Amino acid sequence: MNDRALQDLVLRALADAPFRASPAWRQRALADPSRLERFARFLARHFYYERIVHFFKYSRTLSRVSGRTPEAVLRTTAFESLLPTLVLGSRDSAAAVANVVAAHMSNGRLGGIPYLPDLLRYEKAMMVAEAGPRVWRETGNEEGSIGKGTSPELVEGTVLLDLSYDLPAVLPKLLAPWTEVPRCPERPTKVLIARSRHGRVAVARADGAVAAVIELADGRMTLEDLARQAGLRPAELEATLAGLTELGAVRFATGS
Amino acid sequence: MKVGAFYNPHLGAELVRGEGIDHLAMADPPASNDPHWPAIKSRYTLLLHDYLGQLSEPLDERSIQRARALALQYGTPWVAEHFQCLHTEDGRYNVNYVFPPLYTEEFLRRFVINANALQARLDQPLVMENIPGFFDVKASQMPEPLWLRRFFDETALGFLLDLPHVWLEAHYRGLKPEAWLAEFPLERVVELHVAGVEEDEDLQGPWIAPSEPSDEMLDFMAHTVARCPRAQAVTFDAFSPSLRSEVLFRSVERIRRAL
Repeated sequence: MNDRALQDLVLRALADAPFRASPAWRQRALADPSRLERFARFLARHFYYERIVHFFKYSRTLSRVSGRTPEAVLRTTAFESLLPTLVLGSRDSAAAVANVVAAHMSNGRLGGIPYLPDLLRYEKAMMVAEAGPRVWRETGNEEGSIGKGTSPELVEGTVLLDLSYDLPAVLPKLLAPWTEVPRCPERPTKVLIARSRHGRVAVARADGAVAAVIELADGRMTLEDLARQAGLRPAELEATLAGLTELGAVRFATGS
Repeated sequence: MKVGAFYNPHLGAELVRGEGIDHLAMADPPASNDPHWPAIKSRYTLLLHDYLGQLSEPLDERSIQRARALALQYGTPWVAEHFQCLHTEDGRYNVNYVFPPLYTEEFLRRFVINANALQARLDQPLVMENIPGFFDVKASQMPEPLWLRRFFDETALGFLLDLPHVWLEAHYRGLKPEAWLAEFPLERVVELHVAGVEEDEDLQGPWIAPSEPSDEMLDFMAHTVARCPRAQAVTFDAFSPSLRSEVLFRSVERIRRAL
């Protein structure tokens, strides 16, 4: 094993609590276990602090009404009990932490915030979408080229959320100064959440065309079949796919 | 000696009006809706101190172009990067926090080659910042200061010396900070970072915090600056939404007085 691979092993031990507890790591005796565990816990709290503050920033602005800040979960027993299971950057861990945050926020004073359940679902979905392996540097061998005759497929982590409230209408108002809790129109709304290969999360309102393509893009269906089944004209499909590819929601399977 | 701080966007209004700060280091690009950015940019010398990439691997073209664009946008006198290796090669694991490489011959070779390659693509001098380790990894082959000295011997790069990092390493090794510092290549220092340290519950000991430097840290800074003949700037190294305006301005003022 070269030094770069050894460094990766140390990084994994810091990021991956189950691996850190495993004989595969412990038998190597590369570092003092107590020090490593303390540093790993420090990193975990830092890692999720940044994500919670970023992805739950809208519900955070409601803290003076709800009496709760999302990052407060980092010092709760619920979060402490997750620590031995966490793998920094994994979707499962992001979902587990996001669930704890949402439960914590849901237990606050909720009068006058009827859209809070939708908001928390949205924030949880954002945090989970951001997780997962990412491309840190381009090597020139990346997949995803767009070519004629290829089949679009959903990128892992892409989510289409069905909401009861029109959240996109209220999100900017929550971040602006307010004295009364901003109201949110109650109307069915779909939003698409996707992540680029570099880890950038993007959100867009989803219309019927987007919803249909998201449902049908399985990496096998041809563009012609997709257009027919979604009831879209070729130009509509092309425009929809261009937007979804730009967001990182869809990529094109190159086929075998 | 120039004395500055980090640009903390939530303190933008105070920084636009404030006095006594010579430069601002930029840890993130300005937000497109930052109302204070135009005034900040026109008023201050700006230092590029973003995450550009980890130099255990070569930076890709996209990262190099990003670094060049930021350097141009800021008009930075030098570009900073860290001696860090915080994500695995396959991108699967990422600790999302500065973390040092193994101090080995292989990593030395990697950092020398990749830092020289980055320097060749920049129009400004590249400076590299030391990163603290909370624990030793047995696979390391030499002490950090020797590794750094050899790195600077093999490059023409400048040294951004983070003093709290040195202080913390000395603390966790049970050494006097001045003794640990003496091994570092101080003759290559261009910029110094100074900050506060506070007790951390998880680490069960002190760690870097967005707080004022202690008198002990300022004495350590004065001791160090006297041994860094090429040093041009000292920066109060605090970048956090929890940083308060009075802490930033008072820290800069105390650093200036201690120099």
